Amino acid sequence: MAEKMAAGAFVFEPLANSPVGSVLYNEHLKLTDKSHIAEFAGYLMPLWYSSIAEEHSAVRQRAGIFDCTHMGALEIAGPNAESFLDAVTTNNVRALQVGSAHYSYLLDAAGNVLDDIIIYRRDKEKFMVVVNASNEPKAKAYLAALQAGKTKIDLAKPDRKIKTAPVRDMRDTQTGFDCRVDIAIQGPASPDVLCKLADASVGQQIKNLKSFTFCQAKLANIDCIISRTGYTGAKVCFELFVHPKDAPKLWQKLIDAGALPCGLGSRDSLRVEAGLPLYGHELDGPYNISPFEAGYGWAVKLDKEFFIGKAAMEKISKTCKMKVARLELSGEKGVRPVRQNDAVICGGLCVGWVLSSATAGSRQIAIVYMDKDKATEGNSVAIYYLARSESQKNKGRKQTVEQGERIIGDITGKVVSRFEKF
Amino acid sequence: MVPKGLLYTKDHEWAKIEGDIAIIGITDHAQNQLGELTFVELPDVGKEVKQKGELAVVESSKAASDVYSPVTGKVIEVNKALQAKPEIVNDECYGSGWICKIQITDKATTKNLMDTTQYEEYLKGL
Repeated sequence: MAEKMAAGAFVFEPLANSPVGSVLYNEHLKLTDKSHIAEFAGYLMPLWYSSIAEEHSAVRQRAGIFDCTHMGALEIAGPNAESFLDAVTTNNVRALQVGSAHYSYLLDAAGNVLDDIIIYRRDKEKFMVVVNASNEPKAKAYLAALQAGKTKIDLAKPDRKIKTAPVRDMRDTQTGFDCRVDIAIQGPASPDVLCKLADASVGQQIKNLKSFTFCQAKLANIDCIISRTGYTGAKVCFELFVHPKDAPKLWQKLIDAGALPCGLGSRDSLRVEAGLPLYGHELDGPYNISPFEAGYGWAVKLDKEFFIGKAAMEKISKTCKMKVARLELSGEKGVRPVRQNDAVICGGLCVGWVLSSATAGSRQIAIVYMDKDKATEGNSVAIYYLARSESQKNKGRKQTVEQGERIIGDITGKVVSRFEKF
Repeated sequence: MVPKGLLYTKDHEWAKIEGDIAIIGITDHAQNQLGELTFVELPDVGKEVKQKGELAVVESSKAASDVYSPVTGKVIEVNKALQAKPEIVNDECYGSGWICKIQITDKATTKNLMDTTQYEEYLKGL
């Protein structure tokens, strides 16, 4: 899709607040120089502690931990929780078992992606929904607008009503006893680290967890929701949801047990290497990318009787001509890194653009938005570097390249599988 | 530690003046901000550059940053070792990680650069 679907779009104007430290901010200051801490989604977060490459490889070889306490965690509970979530998200909430989680989307009535989320079913009538930090205020405002009947639900049937359920911000300690923030531990040695903090039976429980399942148990005497989920492409990965007051203690215990603290830099390079989407880049964003183009059509259940944005998704699922693909290019030192919006070239013509990129060892991985027909695995493609500086512009290097434009690439690579697991 | 005997810019370049030659590099603060460098675009030998004019581009996996010339002059030599090993800038930004040498044509341009003490103060204020 090229343009945002305006009719029926949920419009949200975020407040411009000055950034605050995450609940682990003081821990970060103990571990790294202040110059490595930057604002992200309203929080002061570590970009890296030692180096992006070192932290990236720690997750691939051993175990790394990430401050994800900035991610939103919302509780939706009560007798209508299931039907409310089933109507406002794209995946099949009715089929979600207690103790399981699934990936899903929050769409507006026009089909714009408001966020990509993970829904955890903690009980028959109790769910935890984890939303992106950058989208948390919007997601909360959207759910509140739905409850108040102040936003469109179905463009074709303006009188459609949905049952709503209360939403609680689980990171806000004013809202109740059961509060949660997210610390992720990712990589092959993660179970060893966790088992050092758990008694034998909990250790066994952790080892038995399958992908997208979770349990509630004590680690270092701290009550945790331990979930087999993550955002690094690691086959072995966990997220730990703990009370904000316990987060600094658990963080330190994980370090003591052998996990390496990792910043946002490696969080990004790991997810890029694995092909995982980031909202605003591979979803929504300037190209208004839909779940179908992003490779996640399976999380949009068109066979559900209704969900908000369904009509738009039915249309897009049949008409999209572009898709998100993953490319591999040389990443030796001294090779200029490809960057967002650089042009993807195939047969001498621009067929798409880079959405995200990262260096992983001696290769570069780029996630691109390109002509679906050209995105076959194994296909050779090239990248044209856009001008990065005034002098390059003056030498005639372009600042944008249009689709279909004839242009010579600077570096060659090939289309690889959409996702990779490690 | 900011080395003594060098001159500095607000954009975190350094210049070592030897007669009418200036050796140019980026400071420890700059390399630390960028993280591991993966690419350095060196200027062409013979390029004439004004003070604050674009001299080189340094790129890490996270950012691309222009390097501006601390002085007005002509590029007479570039550090070719950085083409294959840009990380030398991270390891030894004040030594073997130098970027280029410039024949200064306007000596007055060295006057408005900061000395070690002034640059240290400037860093504290950031």
